[in-house]
Amino acid sequence: MAVAQRSGRSRYRLLLLILTAATLLTLDFRGFGPLDTAQSRVRDVLEPVVSAVDVVLGPVAEVWTVMFTYNDLRSENERLKDELDRLASADIRNAAEQDALERLLDATGVTFVEGVERLTATVLRDSVGNFDDDVMSIDVGHRHGVAPGMAVVTSAGFVGRVETVDAALSTVTAVSDPSLVVGVRLLDTGDVALGHGMAGDPTRFVVDAGLRWPETGDLSELPAVGSPVVTSAGSRYPADIPVGRVASVEPSEAGLAQLVTVDLAADVQDLGYVTVLLLTPTDEAPVGPDSPFPEQAP
Amino acid sequence: MTASQPVQSVLRGRRLLAGGSVAMIGLRLIIVYLFALLLQLTFFSQVRVAGVAPELPALVAILAGLFAGPRRGSVIAFCAGLMWDIYLSTPLGLAAASFVIVAYTLGGITEDLFHDTRLQTLLLVFVGTAAMVTVYALLGEVVGQRGLIDDRLPRVVLIASGWNALLSLVAAPAVRWAAGSGPARSRTRRREPTASPLKGR
Repeated sequence: MAVAQRSGRSRYRLLLLILTAATLLTLDFRGFGPLDTAQSRVRDVLEPVVSAVDVVLGPVAEVWTVMFTYNDLRSENERLKDELDRLASADIRNAAEQDALERLLDATGVTFVEGVERLTATVLRDSVGNFDDDVMSIDVGHRHGVAPGMAVVTSAGFVGRVETVDAALSTVTAVSDPSLVVGVRLLDTGDVALGHGMAGDPTRFVVDAGLRWPETGDLSELPAVGSPVVTSAGSRYPADIPVGRVASVEPSEAGLAQLVTVDLAADVQDLGYVTVLLLTPTDEAPVGPDSPFPEQAP
Repeated sequence: MTASQPVQSVLRGRRLLAGGSVAMIGLRLIIVYLFALLLQLTFFSQVRVAGVAPELPALVAILAGLFAGPRRGSVIAFCAGLMWDIYLSTPLGLAAASFVIVAYTLGGITEDLFHDTRLQTLLLVFVGTAAMVTVYALLGEVVGQRGLIDDRLPRVVLIASGWNALLSLVAAPAVRWAAGSGPARSRTRRREPTASPLKGR
């Protein structure tokens, strides 16, 4: 009797916990403000501890990295040697500093967006879990004027969007994330469409919505391989930020639409510095001739 | 002063003692969990095998299910998952839900079946982690998260489970201490206190 009662209470508790989780999921999907604020506060409180532990354990983790990424390091070393020869630099230390400087300049030397205030940020950490490879933390937050949805770029092109913003820390979802949908324009044809990252390949981007396969069968209407792809004016981000170059164009499964694969311009895997474009993002993409969304009938 | 007053006083004292014990268990669990979380956020964001890190918050949740039983274990697992959700890019509640389901199931099916050995804990943690990661990915896809189920999933499941099984050798005594569970789990120790047969007489 007692065992049955205990089992019943236990199931009741399980149900209650799952319902709580489902409620939180729903609120999070709906963008319930206080929930975001509460999460942000918790991260803010723990951040000094996380940073301190990072400083203490960083060297130990470096040892592991050195031990198990020896081959990568060796190829990087060869690259650095080449660079050394080219620059006629004196020693490896100088080369490493030069490399860091170049990466910083790469991040700050953005030329394709005019009239937008920018903020340079350091990439602190890559993903913390096993399913968020396309997420990175940067060292700027709402204290510095950063807001969710802002575009993040390097001189190479579009890197991603600011996702969560804490006081002095933000997370960025990289353009390689399959969940991040970006409005793009194919410069060769002038077509506007929607694309997202390719699952399992962080160097590729797929444009799979909004491009019709030529009804006439004239393949010259397709975008040329190697032609540039940029953010469209109708997207949530400033227009004309380079996204990448067309790698291939295929018909989609039904044969009615184009499936354009794009080689991403920016390497989102090994970033040291990035630039945040401090432009308040638009929540709704405008409807118009340059919009990836068709005009709504009244 | 009536005769029942000393009895009530003793009972109140016991209740207070029990309350303090619950608070201590809570505090110990928070310490152990925060330690695991900090390691996950810092050390294991760099230290990975084939790009896969252990799932320390899941490890704490599984061990809580094993050592504290399905009732208390599921609550601990829920809190562990919720805290982990704050740092993940997936929606809040996803890890909490998957942790609860697996911790409850694991705690329930092992409650009256096994006695505690290190090898057994290791195997249960391996299976539990595999289940947790899979349930997390499945639930994520159900709620519309892209890219959780792909070719990489089996690798993540196997390596993360291996990591957790290995780390359970260190984590199991810590969680056992934190959850206030005895060193050797047995049927009688795992069972929650039953009502006294003299109660009500």
